[in-house]
Amino acid sequence: MKKADRKIVVNYIFILIMLVLFALWIKYLNVKITWQQAGMINFSLGFLLLAAYLIGGVLNILKLPLITGYILAGIMAGPHVSNFIDTEMVNQLKLIDDFALSFIAFTAGGSLHIKLIAQRYKAILLNIFFITTTVFCLTTGFVIISAKYFVLTKLLSFEQIVAIAILSGVIAVARSPSSAIAIINEVKASGQFTETVLGVTIVMDVLIIIFFTFAMTFVKIIMSQKGISIDIPFLALAVEMFCSIIFGVIIGKGISFYIDKAGYDLPIFLVFLGFVVAKISMFLTIFMKNHFDIFLHLEPLLICMSAGFVVQNFGKSGRLFIKSLESVEMPVYVLFFSLAGASLDFTALAICWPLAVCLAGVRAVGIFIGTWSAGTIIKDPASVNKKAWMGYLTQAGVAIGFAKLVQRQFPDIGLYLTTIVLAIISINQVIGPVMFKIVLNIVGDAGRQKR
Amino acid sequence: MKTTFTVLMVIFLAFSGYHLSFKSFRLPGFALKFYLTGIEFLFIGILLGSSFLNLLDTQTLKSLEPVSGLVLGWIGLIYGFQFEIKKVKRFPFDFFLSTLIESFATLLVVFFGVYFLLSFLDSNINIKIMGVLTIAAASACSAQTGIVLVTSDFNYNKKLITLLKYISSTDGLHALLIFGCVFLIQQPVYDKNWLVHQLYFILYITGVPFALCFLYLLFFSNRIYEKTISIVVIGMVLISSGAALVINFSPLLINFFLGFCIVNVSRKKEHIFNFLISIEKPVYLLLLVFLGAGIKFSNNFIFFIAACYSVYRLTGKIIGGMLITKISKKMSVYPANLGFGLIDSGGLAFAILYDFQQRFPCETTTYIITIALISIVYNDFLSLFFLKRLLSKDAGTIK
Repeated sequence: MKKADRKIVVNYIFILIMLVLFALWIKYLNVKITWQQAGMINFSLGFLLLAAYLIGGVLNILKLPLITGYILAGIMAGPHVSNFIDTEMVNQLKLIDDFALSFIAFTAGGSLHIKLIAQRYKAILLNIFFITTTVFCLTTGFVIISAKYFVLTKLLSFEQIVAIAILSGVIAVARSPSSAIAIINEVKASGQFTETVLGVTIVMDVLIIIFFTFAMTFVKIIMSQKGISIDIPFLALAVEMFCSIIFGVIIGKGISFYIDKAGYDLPIFLVFLGFVVAKISMFLTIFMKNHFDIFLHLEPLLICMSAGFVVQNFGKSGRLFIKSLESVEMPVYVLFFSLAGASLDFTALAICWPLAVCLAGVRAVGIFIGTWSAGTIIKDPASVNKKAWMGYLTQAGVAIGFAKLVQRQFPDIGLYLTTIVLAIISINQVIGPVMFKIVLNIVGDAGRQKR
Repeated sequence: MKTTFTVLMVIFLAFSGYHLSFKSFRLPGFALKFYLTGIEFLFIGILLGSSFLNLLDTQTLKSLEPVSGLVLGWIGLIYGFQFEIKKVKRFPFDFFLSTLIESFATLLVVFFGVYFLLSFLDSNINIKIMGVLTIAAASACSAQTGIVLVTSDFNYNKKLITLLKYISSTDGLHALLIFGCVFLIQQPVYDKNWLVHQLYFILYITGVPFALCFLYLLFFSNRIYEKTISIVVIGMVLISSGAALVINFSPLLINFFLGFCIVNVSRKKEHIFNFLISIEKPVYLLLLVFLGAGIKFSNNFIFFIAACYSVYRLTGKIIGGMLITKISKKMSVYPANLGFGLIDSGGLAFAILYDFQQRFPCETTTYIITIALISIVYNDFLSLFFLKRLLSKDAGTIK
């Protein structure tokens, strides 16, 4: 470690200690009236934000990803370690999840350039097909077969195991565009391999939302115990997806119009828009159910992703759109990931770590088989082929979001799934960026970026 | 009734959205100023509040208390940033004295005038004194909006404009100091023993701001990238506002103090200020909506009281302006009616009123705040007229 870095680490740790001492003093005070309770919420949020920033900063100097620091800060402040942020407060702060998820979906859609896909479309499509198939099949199969051997899952019913297996399989396919882009920028990488990884990561992050919507419908059928009726749920799903995409396209056009005609306070406009989309979607579901007895759930993630895609590819304001999202992404991500850490059931994590490690391994094997198969077909050099899997391990954002959505819709299995997913993500987020950095150096793409 | 107001609200929202979105929007002078100060959002708040549509009812406003704290903290921090000693020192001492005289003249006239006016109110004497003190403090604040708007079209006496701008940007300091006294009148009970209670009170009121200031400076003494400055600033405002609320103090005052410290000590002040100002407008508009939602028009008499309050304020400003010209030979060159240029109330007045409304919620508070807000709207319409009168007498020439 460089001397300057060591100084920063010492400073950050010192500030963190001061912050914790101050927080303990405030926590010690008697909070009675709502005004004070509101203050405690503000204080806790601020504390979480700053602690996550400091821990992330220290880990980043130690060549570990920022996101690991954010999750770690959440775990430390959460109900299962220090209880500075208790379960009730974590629930109260769920509001942040809503707009953060929409925000992440805006970014995913906005990162999808048709031009980029067109350049390496064959490699991108083959990789997506093989990685998705192998990772999903291996993960799902592994959970179903091995569930009775793990403490966390052995007491679950067969339906619950199948539900967890399907959802784990889909979530295992998800990647982290933000981590991938961060590492590519960090090592100034450029080249065919980099472009393929970026293309696959981003397109997959979009497709995963559709896969996830399918998986959720499947799980609803399995968990409803009313028997399996294929036509109506799938028709309903098709309608829901179609409506979500159309709604997204309209919003995307609206955003483009706003940017072209006004464009002031765009980051704030987008954050609020994301929040509004999430809330309207929720409201519409309840409204349709209560007034017309129709279950119509417009998926906020799909809406925002479609909107982002439209702004990026069918208007002039794509660059400004992404720039605006980037300008506010840090606080949103820090809060989102640290809250995800705080909602992590640490007791369950202690029980499920063997399963998490196995699933992370199975996922890596699936990715290896997928990338190797795709590379063989498109005749990529064997040396690249064997190591390409190292570029696809990072996992974050959307995956955590999915786990949280499952937790909300299926409380019975959601807690197990969130715990497993967060454990796997923690592993992948520690190993993934390091591996990606290594492979970019091996294939010679690192340092080739012109600017 | 509700339908009418819903339609009105939609029109207001449409107009406001239009104003916010399109630069080429042109309106007659008084209306443009109305929009520039964002007063329309106060009306949106009134329409959304319990007086009319009841969408922002008491319960909803309570659940939004964390947002309120954040909004007040943000405004406090921005205001604190205006007091960079190095910059303030560039102006003559007479200017500082002028602001002091102007503020306190208005404060005194409004305090005694309004206290007498509200003698009929049957309420706790402490709350009444605190309420009157708060609106007296708010009355001392003035804004530059009108000055900027008028002087952008005309060439006026630059010296006078400089003095008016100086007073309107620094008079809030005295208002905040007076507002701070409100918290001394009704302290939260920390301990049954009087001495222990006082010790706790002093420890909290002084310890928390200094501890926060220390933390702030520690953070900013390290390398902070442009992209991460938002995390630190948002985090610190959340922490300081939260801590202020937990110790039953004002987030506005604590953040003002922090802003003042940072701007005078930290080398990263430019970056922090740029970020703070980037979302100032939405924060300010939220404040107006929240304030408007809390208003209750108990009777028509309240409009008369608000008019009286406006007259007291105007009297205070005029007396203050006259006194300024008497303090030294240098100041005697300014017109005696310079108080006419300081009628605009400004954003800090709203923040002070909202902080009081949040901290001491009761019927009397609502009544007093409603009076103050109605009066601010009166002032908003009157200020341009008085300002033009002052400036036209001062021989301006059209560009």
